[in-house]
Amino acid sequence: MSDIKTKKRKTWKNPLAVWGAKGGNYEVATPEWKNPHQIWKDTKAFKVPTNKVGRFHYEYKSSNHGEKIWNRLRWWPTRRTILWTKGVYNRKSLKPEKIRKDKRPIFWFFSLLFLAIVPFILPDGYKNSLLTAGGIFGIYASINLCWTLVIGTAGIFSLATYAIVGLSAFLTTWLSINLGLPWWMLPMIGMIVGLAFGIIIALPALRLDGFYYGLLTLGLNELCRVFITTSHAFGAASGGLYGADTFINENWAPMTQTLVQYYSGFALLIAALFLFRFVDGKRLGRILKLAPEKKEAFAEASGVNYKRARVTVFLISSIALGFIGGFYAAYYRGSAFDIFSFHTVIMGLAMITIGGIGRADGAVAGTLIIVIIDRVLVELGPYRYIIIGFLMMFIILFLKNGLFGIRKQFRDWRDKKKGEARSSRLERGGEMLPEQATETDNKDEIYRRRYDKMQREFLKTLICDEVIEEHKQKPLGQHSEALERICYYFRRGAMNDKYVVKCEVPFKKYKIMALSGVRGRSPRLVEDKIYETVEAAYHGLFLRRIQDLMEA
Amino acid sequence: MNDIIFLIINGITVASIYGLIAVAVSITWSALGLLNLSYGFIFSFAGYGAWLAERHLYGEPIFVMFMGIAAGIIGGVMVCLLVFIPVHDKPNFTIRGMIGTLAISLIGGQVLLQNFGPKAKLLPEFFGYGKIKILDVTLTADKIGIICSSIIMLAIVVRWMKSSRRGLEIRAMMMNPHAASIVGIGVRKTGIYVMAVTGAMTGLSAVLLSQTYYLSPFSGLTPMIKGVSIALMGGLGSVRGAVIAAIILGFNEALTTKFLGGRYVLMTQFALIIIVLIIRPRGIAGILDKAREA
Repeated sequence: MSDIKTKKRKTWKNPLAVWGAKGGNYEVATPEWKNPHQIWKDTKAFKVPTNKVGRFHYEYKSSNHGEKIWNRLRWWPTRRTILWTKGVYNRKSLKPEKIRKDKRPIFWFFSLLFLAIVPFILPDGYKNSLLTAGGIFGIYASINLCWTLVIGTAGIFSLATYAIVGLSAFLTTWLSINLGLPWWMLPMIGMIVGLAFGIIIALPALRLDGFYYGLLTLGLNELCRVFITTSHAFGAASGGLYGADTFINENWAPMTQTLVQYYSGFALLIAALFLFRFVDGKRLGRILKLAPEKKEAFAEASGVNYKRARVTVFLISSIALGFIGGFYAAYYRGSAFDIFSFHTVIMGLAMITIGGIGRADGAVAGTLIIVIIDRVLVELGPYRYIIIGFLMMFIILFLKNGLFGIRKQFRDWRDKKKGEARSSRLERGGEMLPEQATETDNKDEIYRRRYDKMQREFLKTLICDEVIEEHKQKPLGQHSEALERICYYFRRGAMNDKYVVKCEVPFKKYKIMALSGVRGRSPRLVEDKIYETVEAAYHGLFLRRIQDLMEA
Repeated sequence: MNDIIFLIINGITVASIYGLIAVAVSITWSALGLLNLSYGFIFSFAGYGAWLAERHLYGEPIFVMFMGIAAGIIGGVMVCLLVFIPVHDKPNFTIRGMIGTLAISLIGGQVLLQNFGPKAKLLPEFFGYGKIKILDVTLTADKIGIICSSIIMLAIVVRWMKSSRRGLEIRAMMMNPHAASIVGIGVRKTGIYVMAVTGAMTGLSAVLLSQTYYLSPFSGLTPMIKGVSIALMGGLGSVRGAVIAAIILGFNEALTTKFLGGRYVLMTQFALIIIVLIIRPRGIAGILDKAREA
């Protein structure tokens, strides 16, 4: 409807004129004939940027056996299913299908299976060093899982994790040397040490929040370091305290010792994972998920005693860290002062940030990466710390929450880009957006609206001065093709807000009204203008409809 | 009595050095919201800058001192450009910024270790070896020099922040960063000023401390942790609080050394800090003025 003036004009002759149709238009000007199929062809035509409609194109759906979609295996004796599976009927083919709603257990299973069998598939040349690194990985991953419980689940930004482990390791070693405790007692004693130290440092955690507490615990770490290294009881001169009882018999073959080390570290990792699962995923974790930082007031108003839950999680993980400290002492026959150093804290933070803070998979994967760089690539010398530093810089500069946050970050970014692209090509005209289209169940409605939109687009091209003039001359009766198409469309419209002519005084006063479309609800008056004749009222109504069409 | 005064002067000397770092940590936190844990690296960086200037350029003490301050400024601006400017408008800024500064201190420490080796370096005595005796107490020149120069530095910084246009911008950022950016104060530009000023303070504390102790790639860690503790006790974001806390902790150090022994300094110090923080979770400044919410 852009340029009416340049439109080619044509003359339309009324076919009824031969028989002398009374009062009709015999010959009127009309626009050039346009093919009404063209817009359908244009809409259907292949245009290069095709935009996908809907979500989860690539989600794998496994086929179902049989007709039932709800039959599934459970962990005996609980009601817990082995994998979180949802049964759906395919909307197109109506076949039953299964969707795995949570695929993480599959990845965990295969990763842990790999770790369990890795000693048997390693080449002999690297076996010893890699398995030693594997044992260290197990211990550090368990420490970091407990730390993740403190930082992520409890939301207490504590940097004294390694201090608890170190303190427990030193005290248990000292007790083992002086009282001759057997190795299996050390983790038990360590738990008591961890609990005691946990209670002491949990006190300020109740009052301080966030980074104030982090800085305080950084200082406490330094305090432990200075206290232990200057104390005579803990062997100030030798760089550490050694001589605790151990579960690794020195008379065994070296490979057996390494294997025992590796598998004990692995067992510790499994135990820490279970602890994480049962704290983070159960009641305490659920409570704390309601009370994230800065939303505490809401949680409190909902009746959640989040402080108690936080301290409980903190104490549980302190006990676990004490256990790990005792295990550490029994594992290495003692401990070095290094465990209290600032360097260890940085390394630990690197481990949990590279994977992503607050996630079990992040803690384990980050530990794996750092242990590989730190303990396996030893030939690199000090450069490995520079590599770790650059890795940390890369992660904090470009990732919102570590490697395991990439998925969410990528999806957010993709949705943002999709939204931008959508708004750039937004010419709706009543057509459904892809989002609406996937949400609506009546798919006919999508096509009805699409067809309606195409038809209106086409009719807009027909409207010009000639057509309006023709209608003004003769609102009823035989019309040219262009006007006829327009009138048919208007007459076929839905009942709500459909314009009608109201006769106030026959042959004198007519007004235009709009129907409500609802039975029992009266029509409303749309304008006060009074038309003298019914023909003028018809034309006024036609003009209103044309205006609505052009504006929509 | 004399040795108590002697220890108190010792404590104040050390506290004035750590106080500089504490004020630096405080200003950075309150103006930028950045928990800068790379002051240890900036400290060593400035110390090595001064050492290089002394070795290769000119050995005049005052020149060496200014070169140390200049190196501190460079270190601070470097941290600002690498961490603050790229991350300051991203989600989880506080924790990402803190980890970024830790990464810089990790990389920087290793680079210094590669270039200068683990052997400790010593800076010359800036203030000579003179002594003054006041009321039976002998004051050595370096102690007076350290106390005076840190007070002068602090006074200049406070004066600059109170009276200059840039200082006004920084104070506006401390009060309300959002409002400051709305009224046209550039966050990045202010970040560079703040980091330059705090870097200068760290640089001064580096040269002052390295002449009495020594300089090594990781010698900045202890001063940084002490500075952070002082800033914490004083209340992050408050210069007055940090100064008061530095003085209290200096006294504590002197008294503990006298009556309990040097091994227990850190213990009493942290007991003190924890008590203060349990009473006032926002530190001493919780009484004085409003500290920044995290």
